[in-house]
Amino acid sequence: MKEKITIPIGPQHPLLKEPISLRIDASGEEVLGGTLRLGYVHRGIEKLAESRTYTQNIPLIERICGICSHVHTTTFCYAVEALLGIEIPPRAQYIRALLCELERIHSHLLWLGVLAKHVGLETVFMHSWHDRELVLDIMEELSGGRVSHGINQIGGVRFDVDAEHHPMMADKMQKLHERITQFMQIFEREPSIKARTHGVAPLSADLIRQYGLAGPVARASGVDVDMRRDDPLPPYDRLDISVITHPDGDAWSRTYVRIYEIYESLLLCEKILQAIPEGNISVRARRKVPAGEVVVRSEAPRGEVVYYLRSNGTEYPARLKIRTPTLPALAIMPMQLAQIHVADIPVVLAGVDLCIACADR
Amino acid sequence: MANKLMPEDFLRCVSAHTQQPCELTGHIINETAITIAADDLHDIVAALMEELNLTHLSAITAQQREDHPDEIQVMYHFWQGGGYTLIVWLPAAEPVLTSLMDIIIGADFYEREVAEMYGITITNREETPPLLLPDDWDEGPPMRRKEKSV
Repeated sequence: MKEKITIPIGPQHPLLKEPISLRIDASGEEVLGGTLRLGYVHRGIEKLAESRTYTQNIPLIERICGICSHVHTTTFCYAVEALLGIEIPPRAQYIRALLCELERIHSHLLWLGVLAKHVGLETVFMHSWHDRELVLDIMEELSGGRVSHGINQIGGVRFDVDAEHHPMMADKMQKLHERITQFMQIFEREPSIKARTHGVAPLSADLIRQYGLAGPVARASGVDVDMRRDDPLPPYDRLDISVITHPDGDAWSRTYVRIYEIYESLLLCEKILQAIPEGNISVRARRKVPAGEVVVRSEAPRGEVVYYLRSNGTEYPARLKIRTPTLPALAIMPMQLAQIHVADIPVVLAGVDLCIACADR
Repeated sequence: MANKLMPEDFLRCVSAHTQQPCELTGHIINETAITIAADDLHDIVAALMEELNLTHLSAITAQQREDHPDEIQVMYHFWQGGGYTLIVWLPAAEPVLTSLMDIIIGADFYEREVAEMYGITITNREETPPLLLPDDWDEGPPMRRKEKSV
């Protein structure tokens, strides 16, 4: 019988891009289980939000996450607008959705690079992060910011998509289409990727439901839920959303789902640009928000985001609760680790696509 | 795609497993909400899971409202084609909740978060180290209101 040892990973560790403390119990090469600890990037954003006006909260909320910043401010703005009883112009809805999809592409490309690096494909890592720059360039051209876009405001958006943006975006999206097609071929044919991901850390649909997971990890286990289609914010209710699922639930399925989601998001960006109506991009919104409560859900790159907002009739939120998709994904991690070899730990961590800043808030 | 749960089914199931009369409230935009007794929470959630397959717990929100400073309101946000919320009120002086982990294992981190941030005691689950707060945190639950209740 081999001796049980505990491997500490984090809070600072070369494997991790963000701080989290993992304690992995192993016996020889076999992982027995693990525990984790959060809070190393806990900024108290829910409490801070209560001391800032609704407008001041937008830059704060944008900094919950360095990758999916836009979906957070979008969800928050829709929540405030629901309490104000205003509907933003359709053009602003489409611009918000365009940025959400671009964010999904860049988030998934970033994740693709991290996974490729962990399975030993440094070249794919370099290529995917290079291609991610194309998306960041588009977002920079549109908003002036690569990661924090500052495009949302209560009542609409601050920047329009001008006619001169269209050829630039079409050119870059065409390049991305070609690159994603190449990635699909590499990931479907490359034996080393199959060897490192097929059958690794499978999650059954039952387990996904018990833990309340949503997003690509759930869809990779055959759970066919996507908030863009099933509980849509505008304008997703007017767009045809194709939800990618895979039945196997292993690391390979999670890879498959995300690569095809990049492809679908590219198609969705094109649909949005074709359907975007003319008109204003914002409406005037009062600073004081009437007393009331609202819950808004949206689909972030990693899954379901939920915002609960309560106003007491002042300029400041009385309570803002933010649910991010990484928290349930972290809860399921000890279960995933319990089935694998030590060498597969990086693949499992990468496969879940953790965002610790989101989980801590 | 998840089958959409109907609000009347939600109400019927909750009403069948509670002693006090309850009704749907529309005060939370986008959510169907019902206020229940904290003691009934576990049984009602178990019934919702068994009878209506309402298993997706999205989040648990706690708050100490300025209009109810002596109480803590805890909301369990579920989703099945739409948002469904169960609301319970706890005395702020001694808030105690029964864990849902034996029926929804995904409630783990949500429960630990509200327990740490609002000082709620969660029974029927193992003792765990802090999830978010530092080990040496000694300033009390950080999301509690500091001013004295009137």
